[in-house]
Order: sequence, then structure tokens, then C-alpha cells
Amino acid sequence: MGAAVHIVLDPAEIEIAVVLRKLAVVWAGFEARLEATPLIRKLTRGRFELADYHAFLIQLRQQVKDGALWMSRAASNIDEAHLELRSLLMRHAVTEHRDFRLLEADFVVSGGELEAIRGAEKNLGSEALSAWMFHEASQPNPFGLLGAMFIIEGLGSIKAVEWGARVARRLDLPNEAVRFLLYHGENDAGHMEEFAAMLRMVAPEATTAARIVRCAEVTARLYALQIEEITS
Amino acid sequence: MLATESPLERGTANRSGGAGVPVYITGTAAFLPGEPVACEQMEDFIGRMPAGCSAFGRRALRWNGIQRRHYALGADGRWLHSNASMCADAVRAAMDVAGLDLRDLDCLAAATTQGDLLVPGHASAVHGELGGGTLELASFQSVCASSLMAAKYAWMAVKSGEAGCAAAVAGEFSSRWFRPSFYQGTELIDAKGRLAMAADFLRFTLSDGAGAVVMERQPRSEGLSLKVDWIDLTSLAGQFDPCMWAGATPEGRTERDGAWSCAGPAAAHASGAIALQQDFTLLKSVIRAWIGVYLQKVDAGRIDPAAVDHLLCHYSAQSLREEIVGLLEATDAMIPQERWFTTLQDSGNVGSASIWIMLDGLMRSGRLKAGQKILCIVPESGRAMVGFMMLEVVEAA
Repeated sequence: MGAAVHIVLDPAEIEIAVVLRKLAVVWAGFEARLEATPLIRKLTRGRFELADYHAFLIQLRQQVKDGALWMSRAASNIDEAHLELRSLLMRHAVTEHRDFRLLEADFVVSGGELEAIRGAEKNLGSEALSAWMFHEASQPNPFGLLGAMFIIEGLGSIKAVEWGARVARRLDLPNEAVRFLLYHGENDAGHMEEFAAMLRMVAPEATTAARIVRCAEVTARLYALQIEEITS
Repeated sequence: MLATESPLERGTANRSGGAGVPVYITGTAAFLPGEPVACEQMEDFIGRMPAGCSAFGRRALRWNGIQRRHYALGADGRWLHSNASMCADAVRAAMDVAGLDLRDLDCLAAATTQGDLLVPGHASAVHGELGGGTLELASFQSVCASSLMAAKYAWMAVKSGEAGCAAAVAGEFSSRWFRPSFYQGTELIDAKGRLAMAADFLRFTLSDGAGAVVMERQPRSEGLSLKVDWIDLTSLAGQFDPCMWAGATPEGRTERDGAWSCAGPAAAHASGAIALQQDFTLLKSVIRAWIGVYLQKVDAGRIDPAAVDHLLCHYSAQSLREEIVGLLEATDAMIPQERWFTTLQDSGNVGSASIWIMLDGLMRSGRLKAGQKILCIVPESGRAMVGFMMLEVVEAA
């Protein structure tokens, strides 16, 4: 860092900063919880097998595929006073709605059968996460979802590359078999700044701010449940 | 099974902190052995590895910004002190600064990463060096945060009336673990004779010394004392694996039969299990966990960054990556860099002793004024722990 200058924030910016702080706390608890899940323990302790990677991709595919769909649904529930956010969610949905194909390709390149990943079932955590996201996206002005996006996109910008590199090293796979994890990390830089901008779009008063944080907490718990439930 | 609450949420909500009898730090002292050692001379003391000067070590030095450090070793590798003797010197000096005699000490809480002997505890060794009459003792072995474990014991002992005067001391003699014999003939050396990064980084990061504080129920009758408002320690070892450790290989560190003594000392040495090591990939997650605990305390109102006049942390602001500083600023939780006080550049990273060495430096700096708040943050990468201590500067009436 360079010479630090204390930035004096105006009151609206302080409210944004407080929401970001609460989200960062939820994120840190989430990351700690993930670290202790059986799947990630295997990955960090050198016991991760190809079957674990395939099981991981199968569950990731479920929520990646749903992601663009709930984002579209959320966009359709955003009123005219928040067109900027609506545009952003729609753009986001367009960018991501084919990403699950990348996951399928990784699955196949790493030796899996396409039918196996396409025909696989959601685990309990994936079911709960998906149901929760669609439920929340169906509310009028579902701004709480910003909290969910903070968690899910944080995973992309903070954890995906580390996990991808560990998977490739441990299983001796080429990068072409781990593209989803590696590509996501590169794609999601500038995470906090993007989120501050999104929060400004909804100018969260206390109720909305609390909903955003609550939504982050629920999403983090259900996301971790999805990872906890992955067994190969 | 995993608990349903977030790992960060347990903690400080119901703690009274400074309620009840106030406790004051009335003396501080640092003991730094030998002469300051410049970066170029480090390997004269810790020894040279056969493959020559380490490029990675130089990178570690740029990253941590340390210019000078002290070693309890002579330039020939001879020991000039023991961990316990340095700690005893720090306790004597801190008692002296407090205007007390060793006979006034009721309780000694001692902390270190690795004591001189495997058995018995470090506090016994320090008491042995101090000599004198009976004492109540408590030994704390962890990494950097062991300093605050000992401080909390001393604080609670005085607060509860169990002791009238307690000292918390912390010391490290890390350099002896960095001598080439710890690595030679082990799996930590590759075919080209290079030392594994996990071990080499610490060789160029840690150094020796001790520091102590004395606590009493009254402030000093003249000059400045430090009222201890509260001390919080948060461990996330339930989630994170060991990140800085000695006594196992990287693979063995979480196994029930992975500790060095299972294989026996000779086989353990050959596998590299005896040396200190650091897991860099995990360290990145651990740093985020520390920041998360800090932000949780800011959010809960336990820490008000704007009310902190001096921040002591043995991580330099320069070594925190930009994204972390960006996160602290975006969440209105950054304590401006001009309020960070450190002696890291000149005294080195002395692990558990660093916080007392810095506090002693701050006491002598002439910067303190009555009413100011000092926040001490002691992150420990050992197994994802972080400690906080809030102090208030008090002037004699």
C-alpha cells in the first residue's frame, strides 16, 4: 500500500461501509466454515480424489445453472425506480447463463461422462440453496439478494483460483480440466468496489440493509451445507 | 457436526471487560540480545545453507520490511543466552521500571513459542533464572498470541485479588531453530540443495528477544501507567489446520499419529518434521479470518477505530496487501497508518515478545498522553488465532 490517507466518508457512504463490514464478517465466518467441510478438508490435506472433483463439479453446476435464472427472475421483480440495478442483474445473468457448460466441459475433460453430470441430482444443500434463491428472487424489489451475491461472487473472486490450483496439482490435471474454477477467479477482481456501487444503487435504509445482511447469512449457511453434503 | 452459528459469532457480547477492579500496567521492558544485526549479516548468525544465499529469504525481507534484528547467538553460532534468561532479564527490568523489587512479585505468567526444554514449562525455567522466593506460575505455549494468554492470566489474577502484583513475560529464541543442522539431511532440502520455502521464509522473518509487563491494582504514583480495559482472544482452530508449526511434516500436521514423537526423533528429523514451517496458501485465508474477527469487533462496538490513538501490531501496514487495506477502508474500519506504532524495523519480529517490545518502545517514545487509547492486535498464524488488548493511558494524580 502507499501512504494511507484516512478517507472521511459522508453519512450515506458510512451506511454503505457498515453494510459492507457486516457482509465481510459473514464472509469470514463462511470461509472458516468451508475450511472445515469434509470436501475442502480433503482438498487441503492431500486426500482429494478425482471422484471428489466430479462430485464437486456436479453440485457447482446445479447452482451455476440456477444462478442466471434467479438473477433474471430478480431483475423482473425490480421496479422502475431501480432500473440501473435491473440492468446490472440482467447483464450479469447474460454473462453467466452459459457458464454451466464450462463446468460440463471440465467434467468431461477430466474423464467424466457428459450424461453423468447432466443427469445428476442436487444434494440436500443444493436443493435448499436453490429453493431459497428462487424464493428470495420472487419478492418485489429483492434487494436482499445483493447479500447473496456478495457471498457467491466472493467465492469466485477469493476461493476459486486457490481451489482450482489445488485440484489441478493434486489430481495432475491440465488447466483445461479446471477452467471453471480458474476462469472465475480471473473474472471477479474488484469485488468490493463493484459491491459498493451496487449498494449505492439501492441506497439501503435500515430495513433493506438488514435484509441484505440476513440474506448473506442464509445464503452462506446453505452454500456451506451444499459443500458439506458432497460425498463421492 | 458443525455448529449452526457462524464461527465468528461466539465471543465478547456478554463480557464486562473493564468492569470491577481496574488493573494497571505499571512497568514495561524489552530485552534484545547482542548488537543489531543488519540483513546482510543475518546468515553469519543463523548459518549458511549449502546452496548459498536464499532468493526467497530476500523476498521475505522485502515483504516484512525488517532492517535490523537481534540474535541470542554469537557470530560463531555460540549461545549467549537462553530463552528463559532473556525472559528473566525482561522481568527484572520491568519490575525495576515499576519501582518494585522482585520480592513484590506474586505471580508470573510466561509465554513462548518454544521453550528451552521440552519439559517442564517455560515459566518454571524463567523462575529458575529469576531465583528468589516462591511464586505462582503459569506457562503458555502457543505462537505470538501466547503473549496475550499470559497477559490475560496476569490481568485476571490481579483483578480477582489472587495476586497483588503479576508479571506477564514472553520470549523467543527462534534463531537456534534456523541453524543449518535443523535442515541438513532432511526432506526439506531439494536435489539442488535448496531449502523448502515453507522453512526458509521463517529463517528470514523471526529473531530473538523478550519483553515483559508488570500489573498492579494501582497506577504508578508518578508518570504514566496503562489501564487494561480488556483482553480478548479468538481461536479459529476448530476450522483451520495448523498454518505455522513445528513437530510434523506438512502431511502429518493434522494426523492423530503425525506428531514427531510417533516416528521417533531421528526419523522425524529426517522427514523435516522438527523444523518450523509456514503454509503460505493457508496463511492467506488465515489473514482474512483475522480481519473478519477484527471487523466483527468493530461492528459489535467493541473496537471503535476512530477512538484508537495508537495501534500496535507486529504485522506492518506495508506487509498487508492492498486488498486488505482496501477492505478495511471500504468497511470504515481502517485505523490511519500514522497511528500505527511499530518497532518492527529495528527490533525484528520476535513472535510472542514483539507486542511487549513495541509497547515498551511506545512508552519511551514520548508520544503518550493521558486519556489516549492503545489497541494491541496480536495475530497468530499458528492455528488461526488473534488476540486484542485495549489499554488506556493514565497519568499519576
